[in-house]
Amino acid sequence: MFFKKKKTAAIEQKNEEKNMVPSEAVKLDLLKQATAKIDDAEIVQRQTNNGATFSLVYIQTLIDKERLNEAIIQPLLQSEDQAFIQCISTCSVLRIHSMEEAKECMLFGAVLIHDQGNNEWWAAKLENPLSRAIENSETETIVYGPKDSFTERIEQNVFMIRRRLPVIELKVEKFQVGSNTKTQVQMLYMDGIANPDIVEIARKNISKVNFDMILESSNLSAFMDDHTHSLFPQFMQTDRPDSCAYSLGLGKIVILLNDTPFALIAPITFFHLFQSPEDYVHRWVIASFLRTLRYLSFFIAITLIPLYVALNTFHYQMIPLQILYVLMESRTKLPFTPFWEALIMLVIIEIIKEASLRMPTKTSQTIGIIGGIVIGQAAVEAGFASKVLIVLVGISAIASFLVPNYLVTKATTVLQFLFLILASFLGILGIALGLILLLAHLNGLSSLKQPFFAPVSPLYWRDWNDLFVRAPLPWAKLRPEYLKTVKKWRVSKEEGNE
Amino acid sequence: MSSRFHLFDRTAVMGSGYILAMVNRMQMLYYVLILPKHLVHPYMMAGILGVGFLSQINLSILSKYLTSNYFVLGYHGFVQLFSEKMVRFFAFLGIFFILMKVIVTTLGYVEIVHQFMFPSMKTNWLIFVLIASGFYIASQGMEKTIRLSIIGFLATIWVILVYIPYFMPPIAKTHHLYPLVPGEGLLHSWYGLLMVWSALSGPEYLVCLGPWIGPKEKILRGMSIGNALSVFEYLVLFAACILYYGSPYLEKISFPVVNMIRYLQSPVFERVDIILISLNMIYFLYFIALFLLCLYGAIRIAAGRININTNRKGFLVCVIAVFIGMLVINGWYWREGQELNVWMTLQLWLGAITYLLVPSVLAIAMKWKRGQSR
Repeated sequence: MFFKKKKTAAIEQKNEEKNMVPSEAVKLDLLKQATAKIDDAEIVQRQTNNGATFSLVYIQTLIDKERLNEAIIQPLLQSEDQAFIQCISTCSVLRIHSMEEAKECMLFGAVLIHDQGNNEWWAAKLENPLSRAIENSETETIVYGPKDSFTERIEQNVFMIRRRLPVIELKVEKFQVGSNTKTQVQMLYMDGIANPDIVEIARKNISKVNFDMILESSNLSAFMDDHTHSLFPQFMQTDRPDSCAYSLGLGKIVILLNDTPFALIAPITFFHLFQSPEDYVHRWVIASFLRTLRYLSFFIAITLIPLYVALNTFHYQMIPLQILYVLMESRTKLPFTPFWEALIMLVIIEIIKEASLRMPTKTSQTIGIIGGIVIGQAAVEAGFASKVLIVLVGISAIASFLVPNYLVTKATTVLQFLFLILASFLGILGIALGLILLLAHLNGLSSLKQPFFAPVSPLYWRDWNDLFVRAPLPWAKLRPEYLKTVKKWRVSKEEGNE
Repeated sequence: MSSRFHLFDRTAVMGSGYILAMVNRMQMLYYVLILPKHLVHPYMMAGILGVGFLSQINLSILSKYLTSNYFVLGYHGFVQLFSEKMVRFFAFLGIFFILMKVIVTTLGYVEIVHQFMFPSMKTNWLIFVLIASGFYIASQGMEKTIRLSIIGFLATIWVILVYIPYFMPPIAKTHHLYPLVPGEGLLHSWYGLLMVWSALSGPEYLVCLGPWIGPKEKILRGMSIGNALSVFEYLVLFAACILYYGSPYLEKISFPVVNMIRYLQSPVFERVDIILISLNMIYFLYFIALFLLCLYGAIRIAAGRININTNRKGFLVCVIAVFIGMLVINGWYWREGQELNVWMTLQLWLGAITYLLVPSVLAIAMKWKRGQSR
């Protein structure tokens, strides 16, 4: 204990000393040392028209080389003025004083300019604009509605959201995370709508991130999750700007990271993971039907195979006679117990699913055919699995894909195995136990400290109009209660009602 | 993720919906499953209504405390009302009552599972599963455990609808429900009435949940609706039993409410009772978790350790002690196949006593305190 305290004190002292040391002045030699063994770093020396010498230091892979010539080299060469830096007018130029500043600017795509006559250093931002074009969303495709999706450039992503929410209340706060990656993070929220307490929690959580590599949004969410060990994501990941704009309008927070097309949305509930952007495109009756179908599919995906095992192992008496005949007939020659039979088939189907995901598209189609038809058919003929089980495995695999959130689809797989084990020990009681514990687990989760199982628990009846049934949009006059937003009304009669 | 283990934190107050759910499910906990067998005569429906009315009066008395400032203060409210010594004494007494309720309720449910689902399974395993699951739920803390009540309520309240077909059996007629008014036999059925009273007990344990439930003005409303719903369910189940079995056969059958469901058929599943027994586990688990937390709280108060932080080890020891207690009773003293064995009968009386005394004692103490302060 004593040593621990001593060590902590020593680290603190060291940090303080580090902060107190005056930063080192920028020197060309030091920059040469720093860029040694960086082959894409370049140091160039030139003279202006009036004979003043200047040096340029940059990393060529990070900058826009065409613009370097147009915006910096040519104006500088033709400069007649003593303060030649003033002739750079087409990009932003900053005065820099320390080596730390110089390195950071250079690594973020700036060109360092050394005015040797005045011994001044400047940084001109010339970041390479390389980025892919705005494309259709591949993870959340919809038939009707906007097609654009985020790219890897954070500015472009913020632009796509701002275009949809051209209001001054949309606030953007910048952070930097990852000691090595120095990833730029921007937190967006609607001032005057989002609950300030939730905004503060998010702000604190982002500031607290202490890790070297934050490469993409799920890396960040891993540090911001309230419950690290849960199977369920506590942040919604989306690459759709319209989903982000809609969530911001409701009072949620959107977190964007540079170099990843996926934004994080929080706080979310378990039920949001079953909602698709298309729910708000369809007629409300159809949307409600499809949403209910997704919940049902989730339930089928986790319980169908365990139910098969439970019925075949413990509860034959529950199966009506006609179905029992079919089941008995298909299982008569099998060498395995229902549990092992189901386990083997589920493992095989998971292998096929993973293989088809990792392979190129054309190969994955072949794998799908081989897996689905050949292995399934062969397993039945070889007497390793019953026909009934093959049908059930197929249904349950397809059902698991109805959940719009891919992370939940994966969670479903793990849950299915857990339920299978419970069913093999306790039959229907085991499945019920699994469901109860799942409900208890969901009831205990939170997303940015807000209850994850709302509006069921805690009970917010008002929010049920967008839970199982997606009520017509004109009825959704109020923002979700669980978000405790500052402005409750979504319609303009706000003053009259509050 | 935080590694702290705070069982009794509070971040929100649970409204009347939770109170309704807790009161209703507490009153539907176990005895309702065996009750019709001991009521037998149709006129006992009047008995259920009468006792339900008394229960409502009792809840009104209880609400006097639940809407007072003492209640909001939780433990400190009790200390203000009584004294620290007395509170520790009451907590010590409470340990016994809570322990009995947890043990008897759990063993009762285990017996049903054993009898209807797994006759060859060793019941100790079932006890272990229930206690371990209860521990998992309870270790999330009191607030989240209370929140689970609404899920338990929504997951099971519809079960009463399953009994509707029993009101339309081909051979039963409405006159089988007569006489609705007893001739002279109601007083002789005092034991049945006592059972109804005891079965309706449970809401008195809301006094342990002071900091978590409110607001004041909605407490009585929530309790009243919960109680009315319970009485309605009792009546439905009892009437269904009478119509289905008839009074003479009803007194001979064990667990009539569960047994009835065995005869229900659906195109997909037979033996719907297996599904319903499994489903009912949600509120048994909920109450095991809730009472484990109450028990741990009572032990901390009785031991004078209320100001020390809760810790995982202490709670686990408490749960293991309950588990061992259950194993001992189950192994040596539980008489299976006899629904009202000595433990059930003991709990019947204890439930009746706590439901009668807790509200009254609190009301008297408050009146006495008010008189003293004048």
